[in-house]
This record gives sequence, structure tokens and C-alpha cells, in this order.
Amino acid sequence: MAVLTTDARRTTPVPTPPRGRRAGGPRRTPPLVLAFVLVPLLAEAVWVFWPALQGFYLALTSWDGVSAPRFVGLANFREMAHDDVFRTAAVDTVLWLVLFGGLSALLGLATALLLQQERRGVGFYRAALFLPVVFSLVATALVWQAIYQPDGVLNQLLQSVGLGSLRHAWLADQDTALYAVIVPALWRQIGYVMVLYLAGLKGIDPALYEAAKVDGAGRWQAFRHVTLPQLRSVNAVVLSVIVIDSLRSFDVVWSLTRGGPYHSSELLSTYMYSTAFQSLRLGYGSALAVVIFVLAFGVIASYLVRAFREAD
Amino acid sequence: MNHSQTSRRRFLAGAGAAGTAALLSGCVTSTSSSKTSSKGAVSLQSNLSAPQAKAAMQDLVAAYKKKGSVDLNTVAAETFRTQLPTYLTSANPPDVYTWYPGSVADAYARKNLLLGLDEVWDSPDLKRYSKALHTLCTSSSGKKVFVPTTYYWWGMFYRKSNFAKWGVTPPTDWDGFLDLCDKLKSKGVAPIGLGAGGNTAWVASAWFDYLDIRINGAQYHRELLAGKHRFDDPEVHKVFDRWKEVLPYFDPSGTAVAFQDATTALLNGRSGMMLIGTFFADAAPKDALDDIDFFRFPVIDPKIPLAEEAPTDGYFASARSGHRDQVFDLLRFLAGAEAQEIYLKGSSGTALPCHPDAKDTGTPLVIKGRKHVAEAAEVTQFFNRDSSDALQPTADTALTKFIAKPKEINSILTDWQRDAQKIWGA
Repeated sequence: MAVLTTDARRTTPVPTPPRGRRAGGPRRTPPLVLAFVLVPLLAEAVWVFWPALQGFYLALTSWDGVSAPRFVGLANFREMAHDDVFRTAAVDTVLWLVLFGGLSALLGLATALLLQQERRGVGFYRAALFLPVVFSLVATALVWQAIYQPDGVLNQLLQSVGLGSLRHAWLADQDTALYAVIVPALWRQIGYVMVLYLAGLKGIDPALYEAAKVDGAGRWQAFRHVTLPQLRSVNAVVLSVIVIDSLRSFDVVWSLTRGGPYHSSELLSTYMYSTAFQSLRLGYGSALAVVIFVLAFGVIASYLVRAFREAD
Repeated sequence: MNHSQTSRRRFLAGAGAAGTAALLSGCVTSTSSSKTSSKGAVSLQSNLSAPQAKAAMQDLVAAYKKKGSVDLNTVAAETFRTQLPTYLTSANPPDVYTWYPGSVADAYARKNLLLGLDEVWDSPDLKRYSKALHTLCTSSSGKKVFVPTTYYWWGMFYRKSNFAKWGVTPPTDWDGFLDLCDKLKSKGVAPIGLGAGGNTAWVASAWFDYLDIRINGAQYHRELLAGKHRFDDPEVHKVFDRWKEVLPYFDPSGTAVAFQDATTALLNGRSGMMLIGTFFADAAPKDALDDIDFFRFPVIDPKIPLAEEAPTDGYFASARSGHRDQVFDLLRFLAGAEAQEIYLKGSSGTALPCHPDAKDTGTPLVIKGRKHVAEAAEVTQFFNRDSSDALQPTADTALTKFIAKPKEINSILTDWQRDAQKIWGA
């Protein structure tokens, strides 16, 4: 059948409608390919989609993890509206997004610009900046905990340079805890963002810079009118990564302060965890998870939609 | 392996999986609640993951293996605590668990998740256990649900050599205690170490527990933790009024370092004394152990019956265990004097056995500790054990905030009551 159709096509200049194919139905997908699609889909459905749907359902219940969940409608969300700790956590999360996200993007871009040119030894600096990414954040946090201890490296350093009056229990003071926790998170993220920007910068056509030079553009103008527009696609990736990483920032905060002292470094993620697994209010914890999901999804989707529209 | 890279997706997956497990187990209970299969070894889920305690558990299991089969599964303490509800509600749960008696065990018993152990308590060993232990291990429905094996005590620990060097002696009452604090402060030492920073904010609860049982008595304390009184009641305010008197003597880094660092400061002589349980000795160097002593938390109101914190440890079993008879056999073994001696020999040895015939390690510290608990009219467990693990974070927040901002006590107690109500109402 297939041979006949091919022959027919070869002899006639205008291809006839592929009747033979239609008669045989659409081209059969080989079972192996089908399996490659369906098996992961099934796994994803069982391990991700179904639990996620369950999470949405649990957000509407009161559940202590032991008894059967009790349906309470939107009570968890109503409670959230009057929950001071939730408000603190939400504000801290926004602060985290701005400080951690903003600084890691800025510093990541700055280091990428600094280290983009192939000079002697630049590889060493790139590797050094990227190194923190390799370590587990929990291990990183333990090191920083030692640095922040009342008699830790930071306080000793301050003492030795004559700034002993600034000595501080960095993680135990509600005024400094959140900022103290951001530093190790930044320390790690900058290297990651740098690598993304380095890849973007490598992709820019050098001819553009030459053309800019010919037109008499200075370094700032070249950066403003060539580099930045060319990095637009990388920016979309960096922004998505930063928003997701900010909203799921958990490990470093949990290892260093557990959201304390008295909720001063509480993020939505740590509040969700402690509510669900320490206070065993899994319904309320799930409601918090839903809020985090909606925030992450909302920010990223709206940005991506805009980015694609501009690209068109 | 990194367990802590928790993302939203993994959380949802986890929560959902737990939910599915609960639903599945719900199905199991409604259809068949009596599994009769008795094949395979009994699984023993242990949270004793500190090196010495883990080794001691392995010795214990090795000893039992001469008569029966058991599989020991040691899980990190924090993971164990958060997973316990999932274990107990799953369709095919581990059989026996290390955990705590009293209010914590009763909460599970009331949900029919624990195996009734009356048959085990009929054994000659357990019949001889103290009356207090009988009561502690009985659920509110009157069933025995727990087998206790060891207990330890809390007290004001100090180094004998340091006290001698500073020329001070242990006090007996509150005024003497304040004098001692003054003297230590004048020597340039932080009088009271705490260790409620890092991941051990719960240590601060010991101060709340002790002040409350000294001022309002153990009975009131237990009722308060059960939600029968309010945290913003005048009685609770009295606790914090007393605490304010000693707050200036606390080590300023008390809420910045974990208890392990605070005990190091104690052993190094940077702080004078610490309210802590004997478990801290696990990390103390062996040569310092002989130099460690303790005194009773000072009496504040002599009219209040003397109570001490002496948490009991032991085992309970899942109601869905498929190895009922083997579980009973294992628990009878664990309740015996021989098993408890094996455990004490293998661990740091500062705990006390529950069996009246079992020998403790016999050090002067342990002998004094045994007498200390025996003299008490009442024994409390600890904040989370007398209430619930879920209530502990509310205390952590309230107490660390009080230590930092004692003047805000009114709003702190109002917030504490509000947070606690959410837990009790859940």
C-alpha cells in the first residue's frame, strides 16, 4: 500500500490526496514511543499531579495528620486574613524577593560583565564564584551559623578592627536575623546567576559592539543599547529562577533560624512547614502552600506571557 | 543525600502522599482491622540516633535476637517526630516505636492507633513497676498503652571544681539562688547558661515548667498544658514575674546558641550553672563527667508539693501491627531488668532504669539523681510531653520573645493563648 502511494506521487506532478494513508488512519505511533510518553506521564500523575490536587483539597480541610480531614470550606483562608504571622511571613517573603532576588540578579550580572573577557586566571575567579552553588545549602548554613555565633568569626573580626560595639547575636536578634540569613543565600545564588548571564553574554554577536563603536557609542551606551536588549531572553530565565528560588527558599532559613526569633525571619515557606509539620495543622499548612503556588505561578505566568508577547 | 532541599512541589507531593496514605489506611481500618499475618521480624522504629544511644540500641537488639527476630530501624529524631503520625496511620506500619508516655501517647491512644498492652503489663516484671509508672502508661480509656524503660532528671547542673574555685555553694531556696547569681556575676561569670538558640529553643520551656510547678504546682501545670487554664491567667503572670527577677543573670547569648554550645560554656567555666536534663552528658568529655554535679531547682513556695521533671522513655506499638504476639514478647523483654542494664551500659549511662531490680551505672551523680526523683511528691515529664509536640512551637516563640523583651509580657501571653487555642482546636 505504502509503495503504491509513493509510486503514484512520483508519477503525478500534483500530489493526489494521500488516500491510501487516510484509509489506513493516521500514522501509527510506535508502542515504544507511546510507552516513553505514557509511563512518565503516569508517574508524574501519581507522584506530582494527584498529590498536588490532594494539596488543594487539604487546603479546604482541618487536618491534624492523624484523624480524618474535616472539610471546613474557606475557613483556612479566612483565618489567614487575620493571621499576624502570615502577614509577617508575606512581608518577609516580598522583602526576600526584592533583596535576595534583586541583589543576586544585579551582582550576578555585574560579576558576569567583570569576568566575561578571557584573561589569564579568569577561570579561577569564575570557579571560585560558582563554588558555593555546588555545596548543599544546609551545609552552607552550618558554616554560616558558626560565623554568626556570639563568639564566631564575624564578631571576632569586628572586635579586631576596633568595631567591637557592633558585636551582635546576629541570628538571635529580630532586627538582624532576616538580613543575616539573606547573606549566605546570596553568596550561593550570585554564582548561579553569573553563569546564566555569562552564557547570555557569550551569545551576543561581537559585530554589534563593533557597529556601536563605529557609531561612536561609549561603554555605557554600548551596555545600555546593545548588551541589555540582547540579554532579554536570559533575563526571562533569570527572573523565573529568582522568583521560584525566592518563594521556595526554605533550607537556609530553616537551618539557621527556623523562622525565628519569634517569627522575625519567617518566610511563607518556613511558616508553611512549621504550621504543617510542627504544629500539625496540615489543613492550614496546605492553604499556605496553595498561596505560595498561586504567587509563584501568577508572577511567572504573567511575566512569561508579557515576555512572549514582546518577542512576537 | 540531601533531605532538606524541600521545594513546594516536594512538599505538596509529601503532603498529598501523606493524605493518600491516610485515605488508604482509612480504607484498611474500615475493612479489616485485624491482620493475622505473623510472618517476618518485628520492626522496631527508633529515634535514638545519637551515636552512643544508637550503639546501645544495637546491643539491645543483638541480645533479643537470641530468642526472637527484630529489625531495628533508626531514624533521625526530627524526621521521626514529624513522621510518627504517618507511620501510625499507614496501612502497613512499623510495629514498635521508641517514644514518650503520658499525654503524648494518650493522644494517639484516643485515636485508636496504639496497641493495648494490658497483657504485657500482666508480666511479673511490669507488675512490680511503681504506681506512678502504672498511671503514666495508662490511657484515658483505662488501657495500658506504653512500656517504660528508662527515665532521666532535670536539675541545675554545675561543675564542682568551678563552684569551689568561686567559693560558692548550691542554694536551697529562691533568695539563696539570687544571692548565688549575684556572687557569680561579681566574679565575671554569666551565672545562668540557657542554650535556647539554634535548633533547641525548647530548652527554655524547662524554665517555664519549673517556675510553674514551684509557684502553681504540678497539678495546675498539667491542666494548663491540657488547655484547662489560659496562658494569660494571673497565675501564669506570676511565673514570669519570678522569671524577671533572674533574667538579668542569664547569659546574654542564651537565645543565640544551641544547648550543646551552652553546656560547653558551662564545662569551660564561662557560665556558672544550667537548668538541663542529664542527656547533655552524652556530649561531655569523659574526664569532666566526674566533676559534674547538680542541685534541685530552688523551692519558691514551701506550701506547694515538691515536683520534679523526670521524663520517662520507652516504647509503644501500633494498633495495626501484624505481629501482635511477637510484639508482646519483645516488649516483655524490653521491660526486663537485663535489657535495661544492657541499654544503660551501652549508652552514656546517666539515665535511670524503670525496673526496680535493674542496676544503674552507680556513679555518685546517678545515685543522687535517683534520690532526687524519689523525694519528689510529683513527677512531670516536660512541656511537650505533658501537652503535645504541636504545642511546643508556641512555647518556643513566647518564651524566647519574653527573654528578649520581658516588658511585653502582656501581649506575649495573649498571643501565646491565641496560638495555643488554634492547636487545641485543631
